[in-house]
Amino acid sequence: MSQAPVVSLQNVSKRIGGRTIIDRLTLEVNPGEVFGFLGPNGSGKTTTIRMMVGLITMSGGDISIAGHSVKTSFPQAIARVGAIVENPEMYKYLTGYQNLIHFGRMNPGITKARIDEVVALVGLQDRIHDKVKKYSLGMRQRLGVAQAILHRPALLILDEPTNGLDPAGIRELRDYLRKLSREEGTAVFVSSHLLSEMELMCDRVAIIQKGELIDIRSLRAESAGAAAGLEEVLFEVDRPSEAVTVLEGRGSARFAEGGFSVTADRETIADMNARLVAAGIRVYGIRVKIKSLEDQFLEVTGGETIG
Amino acid sequence: MRPLASFWNLVQNENMKIYRRISTWIMLGITVVIPLLFTVAFALLAEDNNANNWEAMMLESQILFLLITIFAVVKSSETVAGEFSRGTIKLLLIRPWSRSSILLSKFISIVLFALLFTVVSFVVTWLANVIAFGYTANPANLISEQSPLAGSSPWAYALRYYLDEFITLIVVVTFGFMLSSAFRSSGLAIGLSLFLLFSGSMISGLLSLTDKAWVKYVLFPHLGLSTYVNGGTPVPDHPTTYAFSLGVLAAYFIIFNVISWTVFTKRDVSA
Repeated sequence: MSQAPVVSLQNVSKRIGGRTIIDRLTLEVNPGEVFGFLGPNGSGKTTTIRMMVGLITMSGGDISIAGHSVKTSFPQAIARVGAIVENPEMYKYLTGYQNLIHFGRMNPGITKARIDEVVALVGLQDRIHDKVKKYSLGMRQRLGVAQAILHRPALLILDEPTNGLDPAGIRELRDYLRKLSREEGTAVFVSSHLLSEMELMCDRVAIIQKGELIDIRSLRAESAGAAAGLEEVLFEVDRPSEAVTVLEGRGSARFAEGGFSVTADRETIADMNARLVAAGIRVYGIRVKIKSLEDQFLEVTGGETIG
Repeated sequence: MRPLASFWNLVQNENMKIYRRISTWIMLGITVVIPLLFTVAFALLAEDNNANNWEAMMLESQILFLLITIFAVVKSSETVAGEFSRGTIKLLLIRPWSRSSILLSKFISIVLFALLFTVVSFVVTWLANVIAFGYTANPANLISEQSPLAGSSPWAYALRYYLDEFITLIVVVTFGFMLSSAFRSSGLAIGLSLFLLFSGSMISGLLSLTDKAWVKYVLFPHLGLSTYVNGGTPVPDHPTTYAFSLGVLAAYFIIFNVISWTVFTKRDVSA
């Protein structure tokens, strides 16, 4: 991808009363990319998002969106952004449609046809003229997405977007975000604590802890690379210690729950199985251990719990 | 800067948020019904029919302005603080508008609210009393002899009274608006504004105990701007002119707005 990044954070810091909440954060998000923003509770995810949309000021560094600095040309920068910060809070005494009219009026060129189109996209046609106070959390979330994409932003920022959605809703949102990024080239910046969700949704993830960027990794490249090389495999056997003795000298086996695990290529794994069976050890299962994002996350954050 | 038409969109939004609420219509209903009830009561109680439409109107207007001030303070205290308590401020401020524009649109919508209620009150009290008592062109006891308007038409007197009351209404509302954006809590803003309103005469009385010159610059007594029209002055023992009072009110109006604006545009939104 050679295009200019949609959003770029350069050495962004936030200090409140001598405490450093965010420490020199630098990252870029490209057009058409779904970018995940991961971190334990209190690591500064929401603070970073609030700085990106200008709700709080930066103590140092700068953020530019579509080439405009959030600090010095805020209206131009924010015009290309759609966002939900934390929960999608709406005017509950207005209908969903009146809420969209409200936010639509604040951006130039939003027609009634565009509002109807977005309402259909998020699937709220049947309830859009109901008052928001009668909406479920899932419906409010959809309305939140609707107000965020009304003006076809170049960057969509979603803070914990799957909160309150049922599995079908999460799947729908995921498909919709993918579609947005693929077809309209919208960059999507999502923060979430649902690591498995992020894994399915994102092209890249950044991991922050205590306000510092720990790692940025590409999820697509990772899984492609793993297919070619060695795999970590879990053998489920009845007598693990005997099994390890049988395989002595054939790669390093480690005891694991219900058996042991080894790292080897496919052919070696088949050989090992044959030797175990020949030695009279009962093999109940052989599973490839896929390192989930959660494992990777725990690895880099040092096992800190995620809320 | 975008054209005025698109700024008007912001004011429309604020108006929508005011007039789509039931509470606004209840307030308007009360503003219409209260003078009607008083007029009916006057008509039934006035024995020898010596009541005239202007005096009844002015009496009702005095009561109504108290009510209107409460209503407008409730709305102005809610307009900024409510966005914070609902969390909608986070959606409102991430639009291609400066915070100053958002704040200005809110202030304008509140001034329009106050204006609407003032006009409704004038129209209702005038109509109801003309219907009940007939139209008197030259009421004898309406305007006192000391009044600067002595000898003028009752229209001039009524309009001047409404103008004075509207000016002080706007100052009180601006005070509520300032507290609303400073504390982000509508309850506190409403409470303190009403305290300002009702303790005004008491504090004026206290202030009259001292003969220091600065007493003239305290806001409270000048909220009684309409005392001039009856020939009085608002600060006891410190004679002031109408223009002086207007100047004091204008100074506070500007100070309140500068504070609202500074707090609203500078502070982090972490609600």
